[in-house]
Amino acid sequence: MSGHDSKYFSTTKKGEIPELKEELNSQYKDKRKDAVKKVIAAMTVGKDVSSLFTDVVNCMQTENLELKKLVYLYLINYAKSQPDLAILAVNTFVKDSQDPNPLIRALAVRTMGCIRVDKITEYLCDPLQRCLKDDDPYVRKTAAICVAKLYDINAELVEDRGFLEALKDLISDNNPMVVANAVAALAEIQDNSSNPIFEITSHTLSKLLTALNECTEWGQVFILDALSKYKAADAREAENIVERVTPRLQHANCAVVLSAVKMILQQMELITSTDVVRNLCKKMAPPLVTLLSAEPEIQYVALRNINLIVQRRPTILAHEIKVFFCKYNDPIYVKMEKLEIMIKLASDRNIDQVLLEFKEYATEVDVDFVRKAVRAIGRCAIKLERAAERCISVLLELIKIKVNYVVQEAIIVIKDIFRRYPNTYESIIATLCESLDTLDEPEAKASMIWIIGEYAERIDNADELLESFLESFPEEPAQVQLQLLTATVKLFLKKPTEGPQQMIQVVLNNATLETDNPDLRDRAYIYWRLLSTDPEAAKDVVLAEKPVISDDSNLLDPSLLDELLANIATLSSVYHKPPDAFVTRVKTTQRTEEDDYPDGSEAGYSESPSHAAGASPPATTSSAPYAAARQPAPAAPAPVPDLLDLMGMDGNNNNVDAIVPVDQPAAPAGLPLPVLLPASVDHGLEISAQLIRRDGQIFYSLLFENKSQVPLDGFLIQFNKNSFGLAAAGPLQVPQLQPGTSARTLLPMVLFQNIAAGPPNTLLQVAVKNNQQPVLYFNDKVSFLVFFTEDGKMERTTFLETWKSLPDSNEVSKDFPGIVVTSVEATLDRLTASNMFFIAKRKHANQEVLYLSAKIPRGTPFLIELTAVIGIPGLKCAIKTPSPEMAPLFFEALEPLLMS
Amino acid sequence: MISQFFVLSQRGDNIVFRDYRGDVQKSSAEIFFRKVKFWKEDGDEEAPPVFNVDGVNYFHVKVVGLLFVATTRANVSPSLVLELLQRIARVIKDYLGVLNEDSFRKNFVLVYELLDEVIDFGYAQTTSTEVLKSSVFNEPIMVDAGRLPPLGPASIFMQGTKRMPGTAVTKSVVANEPGGRKREEIFVDIIEKISLTFSSSGYILTSEIDGTIQMKSFLTGNPEIRLALNEELSIGRSGRSIYGSRDYSGSSGSGPVILDDCNFHESVHLDSFDVDRTLTLVPPDGEFPVMNYRMTQEFKPPFRINTLIEEAGALKAEVILKIRAEFSPSVTANTIVVQMPLPTYTTRVSFELEPGAVGQMTDFKESNKRLEWGLKKAIFFHKSLKFETAEQNRWWIRSHASCEANILTGIAWYCNITKEAGPVSMTFTIPMYNTSRLQVKYLQIAKKSKTYNPYRWVRYVTQANSYVARI
Repeated sequence: MSGHDSKYFSTTKKGEIPELKEELNSQYKDKRKDAVKKVIAAMTVGKDVSSLFTDVVNCMQTENLELKKLVYLYLINYAKSQPDLAILAVNTFVKDSQDPNPLIRALAVRTMGCIRVDKITEYLCDPLQRCLKDDDPYVRKTAAICVAKLYDINAELVEDRGFLEALKDLISDNNPMVVANAVAALAEIQDNSSNPIFEITSHTLSKLLTALNECTEWGQVFILDALSKYKAADAREAENIVERVTPRLQHANCAVVLSAVKMILQQMELITSTDVVRNLCKKMAPPLVTLLSAEPEIQYVALRNINLIVQRRPTILAHEIKVFFCKYNDPIYVKMEKLEIMIKLASDRNIDQVLLEFKEYATEVDVDFVRKAVRAIGRCAIKLERAAERCISVLLELIKIKVNYVVQEAIIVIKDIFRRYPNTYESIIATLCESLDTLDEPEAKASMIWIIGEYAERIDNADELLESFLESFPEEPAQVQLQLLTATVKLFLKKPTEGPQQMIQVVLNNATLETDNPDLRDRAYIYWRLLSTDPEAAKDVVLAEKPVISDDSNLLDPSLLDELLANIATLSSVYHKPPDAFVTRVKTTQRTEEDDYPDGSEAGYSESPSHAAGASPPATTSSAPYAAARQPAPAAPAPVPDLLDLMGMDGNNNNVDAIVPVDQPAAPAGLPLPVLLPASVDHGLEISAQLIRRDGQIFYSLLFENKSQVPLDGFLIQFNKNSFGLAAAGPLQVPQLQPGTSARTLLPMVLFQNIAAGPPNTLLQVAVKNNQQPVLYFNDKVSFLVFFTEDGKMERTTFLETWKSLPDSNEVSKDFPGIVVTSVEATLDRLTASNMFFIAKRKHANQEVLYLSAKIPRGTPFLIELTAVIGIPGLKCAIKTPSPEMAPLFFEALEPLLMS
Repeated sequence: MISQFFVLSQRGDNIVFRDYRGDVQKSSAEIFFRKVKFWKEDGDEEAPPVFNVDGVNYFHVKVVGLLFVATTRANVSPSLVLELLQRIARVIKDYLGVLNEDSFRKNFVLVYELLDEVIDFGYAQTTSTEVLKSSVFNEPIMVDAGRLPPLGPASIFMQGTKRMPGTAVTKSVVANEPGGRKREEIFVDIIEKISLTFSSSGYILTSEIDGTIQMKSFLTGNPEIRLALNEELSIGRSGRSIYGSRDYSGSSGSGPVILDDCNFHESVHLDSFDVDRTLTLVPPDGEFPVMNYRMTQEFKPPFRINTLIEEAGALKAEVILKIRAEFSPSVTANTIVVQMPLPTYTTRVSFELEPGAVGQMTDFKESNKRLEWGLKKAIFFHKSLKFETAEQNRWWIRSHASCEANILTGIAWYCNITKEAGPVSMTFTIPMYNTSRLQVKYLQIAKKSKTYNPYRWVRYVTQANSYVARI
């Protein structure tokens, strides 16, 4: 042969097909061969050269093996489209199958099997019968595969002509190549047949195990895979099998190693001796690790398999976690799988090392990888209780780098950590809140909202935070909307004040009237109905204690895991899906319409399915469906205004049970009052009370609870002398109290009545009596803040002048090491609510310095300077006032206000 | 079993297409290529080597820029298919000498003939070049290898010292030399790839050597060969785990070589291996790995990397990279590249090489924000380098790089140059150097006659796989 094959790809200006036709019929052998090559070249680039069929077939009768192979190649491609013409080739095939040259015999049988034309199939039987008993192993091994080809075309024919028996005989062939092909053919036939055709007995087992040692590497895989279906009778047989398979672990071919691993794992299930099992685990570890030195493609397959293996037998690789550390040049698909396995192998012993790695990965360039690394840290925290704190501190460090997607991912996992360890790590919420406005991904947003709702009582400005999300409610994705709805309800139940009340109205309106999402609407209606009919039940349902979640990294369903482990070293173990989820036989289902497996991306990467579940905000699963369950007979949908009415939102309704207080002065809302006088056996009257400031006046807010057996009436109250001269401004108005009932009242107070001498203190001694009981005494502590008047705001200039006019001896300062200022705004809002008014702010290095003013009655000013670093514990407060003796009282009151 | 095999060029052109079972649509190559190319919308992410689209499973490996692909509908062994694809590439390379689009096109008839013998009805038959020779008749047509990119680790010997015949790598094992007679020669290459991670304080966190003894024989008559390895060679770190145990402090010098694990080519007889550490084999034609091994025993890293990064002003940082070679002056490392990713908002980088630096290259890759510093081997030979006299057998190379970040207002306080840069990674090749100290003590060829004395080449090379220093 001369010249380059590539010239066959070039075309001439003349019509190509006629020219080829001419050349194919040339009298010169070389010219004919060149012409066939050109035809094949045209065929491979997708040109239709089927019209040359007769001409090409005419070249078939040749002694030249090279040319013959080319013609056969052409035939395989076009016989199906020209079945009638294909018959022309049959004679040559039959003749070739008796050729003295074994290569030609094998070639004829191999090619005939590939021509899927019924008419030819009949003629194939006789040559095949002969070739199955051929003297030459090359011919026999080709014939063995040909039986499988024929079965695929016409299964009945194969059974009728006794080819199956002939094939089974080949299992005992003395040539291992023939054995291997016979096994492969039988395995395939068995796969497609419901009859028992290829059953491995202990006899075939031993024969095949012997052949194993002599086979080519590919043959070894066929045999091992076929044998893996064999169920050993007892532990002893299993041990014997394992012993003969173990040397395969040393093979350089990864497929052999993995198939051997599969076989050993399967037999191990039967082995009872723990020593043997331990020993086998030890033997399997190095070859499994060595698979990770292969090409990245093989590594990927190995890692997907190892992922399954460590779920069943974690000890095998427990000490090898280092080999799963990512290399910088690993392809992303390898890195992702390594991360999964690192999580699975993470233990108290190696967690420090693992965290160091994860932290490093979290600062890499690839966003998906970084995200997964951050999630991995969270999953370790959930998995390893003793390491949780270390994991969280790594997460906080990462959050501080302020890379947007890292922060968002961290918030998602921290939400899960909160679910896993309730009431343990909530102190970090403040840090999370700082990143609030950078969140732009639905899952992160939803997680943050869940956190705010869940911990609304600990986040002082929870209502403001949620409100900031509410503005964009209609535009948010469903995931976020659902969380916003639930969080707002939680907030409202925990802090039933005016703000949340308005918010809930907005949210419920939005979620019921303005949405097309049935899930959202249904959940909103359930909440609405719950809130309006039985607020206490709503609390029980929505604020119910949630079950603690657990680590989800090993959460393959056990039966699925069993099935996948039985399919180690198959595609099933790469996709982590059972075979019937993706194997589609064209024979039975005809064409490719099946959408069992619609998405390739899912196939390759299948994110551990458990994670998806774990990542969805847990509140979703815990409150809404739960709520529905607790409300077995929901009322028929009532018109919306009624619901509003029931909730007391129109303000005209005095429904006492409604959780929203509408009768303003009689029952001040707010935090529950502190119990100052607990009920005792003697008197059975419990009194809770607190000084509050409202509308420029000081009130004593009191709650009387009659826990005695008799009705109580004729209540009177008296205050002892105190530093501020506090005294009742009117009579105490408490109706008769029936046993088991309670009454709330607001007692207006006045100042400067009976001022106690001596240095000021916060003690307030109170005496209460009624007609049934003797005088009861209790002590209260005055919060200095109630004295700050509403007119405490100063002009900047006044503030400066006052500051300067006061001598330095009037300045008192105090450090509050325990207070963290997370946001200047939130702090200011809180101070303003207590009548301390903002004057100015400046920055000093990284410190925020705030100036505020306040006034107590009789015009005594308080000039306040607060110094803090945002997010860092420690607040310094300095005040200047004409009455510096009051300073300790002020500090005492300030601390709880700013302590979140 | 597989249904189809095809080879695609980087552009997605069909170079070879063979259908074995006819149960997968013919358009599979197109479907595959589209899927791989646009795996993720941004096109950045690599597709995994195995995936499923509409019930068809696609396997692929990349070999010198070509995509070797197989499809199937059955639940086959994926490692078998991927391994098979690699082997097909190797067989074809054995035959064609070089693997590229050009050589494929010139030899497509031969390639089809090979594919018919390698796979029947989707079942792998043989991938041994030796066995295939008996049933494959087409002769390869050689293409000019000169302008081709080097292939495989052994290719470095092409540019190496003159002792190595450059043709070995691209020589077909079946084609005859132009002169008609084949040159009698055998190549044994010990190729080691090192993965190593330094912590920020220079402590070695992980280290691993993946080694392979590769053989390519051009000997006629297939004589038996004996390879003797170190006598003090043990396999398996029995009872001890890799994790945390570093019992062998003697990292260089003598002492036993301890392999974690190894495996052998099927032609290797290990009868005397346990006794005297010799491997006996009749090498089949073609290139094949005699032995693969893996080692986590501590070794002396060939290079130490020292990185200093500090903020130099509000939006600037200074990076100082120092590399110290820790091997003897008789050895030459070449094609050294040091890389370091910089924060995404980096806009400008300037470099300052040490005075008198020769053959060095610095670059800031704008597209992936990567700092690159290349050193040709020449650097080690220049006697004028001032540091050489100061410290014998050690060299210093310094490079200053300063980067300036231009950050949009508002996120200024977010940026954290020093934390978002790094880690530093390094690639290099060191011919005639081996890290594990595993050696071929002798290579014995069963003699046919007294005058039979073929050329034997035993070559060592160490390459960086993942050589990383964290900062």
